[in-house]
Amino acid sequence: MTDDTPAGEPVRASDDGPASGAGLSPAETLRLIRQQQEAARDATEPDGRLLFAAWGLAWLIGYLAMWLSARDTGLAESWAGWVLAGCILGAVVFTIVHSITRTAGTRGASARLGAMYGWSWFLAFTAFGVLLGAMGHAGASPEVMAIASNGFACMIVGLLYIACALLFEEVRMYALGAWMLVTAVAAAFAGMPNTYLVMAAAGGGGFLAMVAVEQWFRARRRSPGSVPRRTEGGGHGA
Amino acid sequence: MPEELDPVIHAPARLRVVASLAALGRGDEVAFPKLRKLLDMTAGNLSTHLRKLEDAGYVRVTKTHEGRMPATYLALTDTGRTAFADYQAALMDLLKGAQG
Repeated sequence: MTDDTPAGEPVRASDDGPASGAGLSPAETLRLIRQQQEAARDATEPDGRLLFAAWGLAWLIGYLAMWLSARDTGLAESWAGWVLAGCILGAVVFTIVHSITRTAGTRGASARLGAMYGWSWFLAFTAFGVLLGAMGHAGASPEVMAIASNGFACMIVGLLYIACALLFEEVRMYALGAWMLVTAVAAAFAGMPNTYLVMAAAGGGGFLAMVAVEQWFRARRRSPGSVPRRTEGGGHGA
Repeated sequence: MPEELDPVIHAPARLRVVASLAALGRGDEVAFPKLRKLLDMTAGNLSTHLRKLEDAGYVRVTKTHEGRMPATYLALTDTGRTAFADYQAALMDLLKGAQG
């Protein structure tokens, strides 16, 4: 290579020509790699923290509204239903826009899996809505409908997160999925109106806890223990 | 003594290109404009580096069409991934050496 002449402080590495890593110590070079990979992931992958925050807030606000309105009469009122629907719709739109924006300009195996995974949510919740409709049509009481809608919603979410864990080998997604299945059971046995409180606290709270978990993983990735403390003047060949 | 660092990767601009592509999943590709924006390089500059990486067998360049627009996608080859892993391992060796 002819362009590898030693340069003074070529950390900025933006131009062609005599750009060389010779001015960077191994520690600085490793740091440059880590920063660049973090930037690349930010540019091509959805940010889990944002998605979990959106869903955590949607469940927390929506189901708290359901709980508050159901506390007096035992059944949720329609205004609360609209609040919940609005929150869920908002989270859906945010998820789709954020994911499409981040992954635009990439293609390949991850994009195909991601698209199939996204459609799984749509299909599962479409079936969920139709089944609930059929149950209502068959004369299920409002209380049965409440238990079924909360329990099945958590079960679908839990199983899809477990599927995600299997697909992308993310153990923390498996934990979240399992937690959502526990939430499904707890919500089913909590009775009215507390089933909504379980959804808000355990469901919404579970998503919000994942924001902290994602942040922790991100911070750890940014400063991995395996990467060495900075060395003084450690150019290569030192 | 550790072996010499791979000169194809060791130039900072190409190091950033390779590091970015290595952050993608195996079998994933990124469009040229997206990579250019991520790296904040000029198109000509990035093309020059990509050609060197392609010549070394580290990067696969796929030219295609999206509708009527020509599009170029970039990915690290298996050879490139291995070379990058070796490069990082060599850096770690140097670091250990420097730390005594």
